[in-house]
Amino acid sequence: MELKKKLTTALAAGLASAMMFSVAACGADDSSSDNAVDDGSLMTVDVFSSTANYQGMQKGWFAKIVKDKFNIELNIIAPNVAGGGDTLFDTRSAAGDLGDIVIVGTGNGRLQKLVKSGLIVDMTEYYDDMENVQNYQSAVDAVTELAGQDGVWGFPQAVSTSSPTEPNEGVEPGAAPYIRWDYYREIGYPEINDLDDFLDMLKQMQDKAREDTGEDDIYALSLFKDWDGDVMQNAQAIASWYGYGLQNSMFVAADGSDVQSAIDEGGVYEKALEFLNKAYQMGLVDPESTTQNWDTLSTKVTNGKVLVSLWSWLGKPRQNTAENKANGVGFMLAPIGDMKVYSDGFKPNGDTSSIIAIGSKAENKARLAEFIDWLYSPEGVYASASNSGGAVCPEEMCWTVNDEGLPELTEFGDKAMNDASDLTVSDEYGGGSYNDGVSALNFKTVAQNDIDPNTGEAFNQQLWTTVLNQTDALQDDWASHMGGAQTDIEYLENSGKISVAAGASYVTPEEDSQISTLRASIKTEIVNASWQAVTASSDSEFKQILDEMRTKVNDLDYASVRAVDEQNAKDLIAAREAIVKQAESESE
Amino acid sequence: MQTVPTMNGEASLNANGGASVVGEANSAPASGPTDRRAARKARKMAEANNYNKKHGFRLFLLVAPLLVMVVLFSYLPLFGWVYAFFDYQPPIPLSESEFVGLQWFEMMVQNKAQLQTIGQVMLNTFAMSGLNILTSFLPVIFAIALNEIRAKWFKNIIQTLTTLPNFISWVLVYSIAFAMFSSTGMVNDLLQNLHLITEPIKFLDSADHTWLKMLLWGLWKGLGWGSIMYLAGIAGIDPELYEAAQVDGANRFQQIIHVTIPQLMPTYFVLLMLSISNFLNNGMDQYFVFQNAFNTKWIQVLDLYVYNVGMGQNSLSLGTAISMLKSLVSVALLLIVNWLSKRTRGVGIV
Repeated sequence: MELKKKLTTALAAGLASAMMFSVAACGADDSSSDNAVDDGSLMTVDVFSSTANYQGMQKGWFAKIVKDKFNIELNIIAPNVAGGGDTLFDTRSAAGDLGDIVIVGTGNGRLQKLVKSGLIVDMTEYYDDMENVQNYQSAVDAVTELAGQDGVWGFPQAVSTSSPTEPNEGVEPGAAPYIRWDYYREIGYPEINDLDDFLDMLKQMQDKAREDTGEDDIYALSLFKDWDGDVMQNAQAIASWYGYGLQNSMFVAADGSDVQSAIDEGGVYEKALEFLNKAYQMGLVDPESTTQNWDTLSTKVTNGKVLVSLWSWLGKPRQNTAENKANGVGFMLAPIGDMKVYSDGFKPNGDTSSIIAIGSKAENKARLAEFIDWLYSPEGVYASASNSGGAVCPEEMCWTVNDEGLPELTEFGDKAMNDASDLTVSDEYGGGSYNDGVSALNFKTVAQNDIDPNTGEAFNQQLWTTVLNQTDALQDDWASHMGGAQTDIEYLENSGKISVAAGASYVTPEEDSQISTLRASIKTEIVNASWQAVTASSDSEFKQILDEMRTKVNDLDYASVRAVDEQNAKDLIAAREAIVKQAESESE
Repeated sequence: MQTVPTMNGEASLNANGGASVVGEANSAPASGPTDRRAARKARKMAEANNYNKKHGFRLFLLVAPLLVMVVLFSYLPLFGWVYAFFDYQPPIPLSESEFVGLQWFEMMVQNKAQLQTIGQVMLNTFAMSGLNILTSFLPVIFAIALNEIRAKWFKNIIQTLTTLPNFISWVLVYSIAFAMFSSTGMVNDLLQNLHLITEPIKFLDSADHTWLKMLLWGLWKGLGWGSIMYLAGIAGIDPELYEAAQVDGANRFQQIIHVTIPQLMPTYFVLLMLSISNFLNNGMDQYFVFQNAFNTKWIQVLDLYVYNVGMGQNSLSLGTAISMLKSLVSVALLLIVNWLSKRTRGVGIV
């Protein structure tokens, strides 16, 4: 009896103390071994990458290159995959350790906050050895200025040595109207003067496609909501066809001549929504648009169920395989008469809206600095390749220099760039599928269309002389209707249908958190209303939904948010003018 | 939740032990005729008293872990409320964040649109909880109906099939819903193939009848599970009551009306009380998975709204301020129910 009681007491006390202890353990601090000697052994590096679309260990050929060179394995942590917006960033930063290597956006003063809270380290002591990054000194300075504190805090993406008034896209703009050229040909190349003509033409194309294939689940347009932010992203893409870029809630014309809000009546955003709604009312929009995600959409594009690609990088890589192109099938730029496609210029200071940095809890920081520096070398740029539209995959594996001293794709390289879906990599380069082995960091350190000093040609193979000289049935057919242009950019430049926004590295400054909070609820209203408007069953319903949204947004005190956004838009335009002046004075 | 009654039980046991000691001590001087006897008695008493003290302490130790748990999980989290008074922006720790006083609370009521949103959210919360309470008699009927099935194997199959959905997570329920009711889902395909409709019906991405749809999903998932308690209740009804009713010539329907239902009423009211006390906790997972750009207005209940503001819109401080609103309303509801209880039964709950 007595023993039993004692036992119970002991048990109770033990339980209580165990609980106390386990709670205390939660707050235990972890001391970082900052100056431990790097013995060069294999280490796993946690990479927090806001740009990554894959989560987990880096696989395949890129993993092999990194392991052979640095004895590093990369473990990618991707908020895009985890979902929930900034939740992952918030929780990890609250825990005091974002990752060993950190790739984050810098907007709204985030970089300053990272520096202030000591989550990323000053790389000054390693900077002297970082020879590749030093080529882009002004970009490094731009980040320092943004951080508001002396030191080398990180490096921007897409740094460049080209002119800021040149379109940085190389051969094709990001957002532009791409259509299934084969159906366009079948309906007899009708003239397209404006968006209304475009709709009529899409209707014909859709009917034709359904007739040809016998499948009635082919739609001209298919939308998705994954990337909605301040506005509905798909409508924003259409606004870019008319030369407007988005900054927060403001649409800023590429040449700085016009600034308008997303809620402005008769504005470019409303025009885009109207276009989508008209298409919806004409039965041209996939009914799954409201619920599907990016994966579903891209599968549909691959299977030929979608006839328009709002961007170059959606349609072309999925439809324009070598076989299809030889048969004249694939996505090509549509010649809409009144379009003026928005294009970003090269950014001499890089795109500071995203940077790569080293986390303060990282071990062997010197080795990480060496790794980051390597990413900015030509070798690193090629190693970070993915598919078409960017840098080509590494030399030997994908390309060789031919007898005339020009880089030339190997058969493997050609497949990797244009039709990589089933491509496997030989064991020599790490094995596995090519696509799985692509760098999951998704961080393009150097502008992809910059010139590689070693070869004298661009990193992007689409601009190589040897590639441009290759043509196919699809390209020839397209060129014959586009005044013989070799590339989309060439056509747009020749016909004056491009407007280049000078490449200024402007990032919005930190704003009052009340403004951020208002902005957050306002953008939810705008995005929700946009989707409702696009799927409205009549013009009057469309108008009513937008009117209700305007009232609601104005009641939410949009005026104060707008004041901030207008100021930022002005600053952006000023920064663009400044960079153009700077480039002019340098070239004189 | 379960810690509270257990703790009270222990505490009252302890108190009774203490009371009996006091009783004996009071009676000691009266019963002791001589000093020696009194001294011995006193010593014994002291020992007993000592033992009781020790015993009380041991019992307290038994309660201690539960007390610790209550403090840890019910009171310590209240510390999080301080976030509502700071301008907390994640990478910056709270200690370096700016103290802003009642700024976020002012923001909640600062403009018409914000007030409307909160009003709508409260309306949704009350409507969905209200509908749940209004339909809380359905599991009773279901249990009775189930109980009337004579074929045991059939009864078992039905019970298993209806209980199973309770163990499916809402995420999976949504994927079932999506497969069946999306614009290219099974139901729309079927109706279109039968040429009953030409345009797909938007079951999921429209704002129509959102409350009703959510209620139906909730019922589908919870009906079988909810009836388990009543089935147990029915099993516990004294068979003599039925026998007496049969002797009186009552048919099966009359037995249900006059025996089963009255006997189940106490169980029903206990469960009803519990669900009223959970009025604001209608959870967010169901509404989170079903929400989209079209039904947000009608589906956003308080829990979901707090999540959307705090996590979705990255305004953790405002989210905290709004979640405090929930506690306020909960306390108000509790006081109202307590007052009602006092008025009607003469005994309060707290």
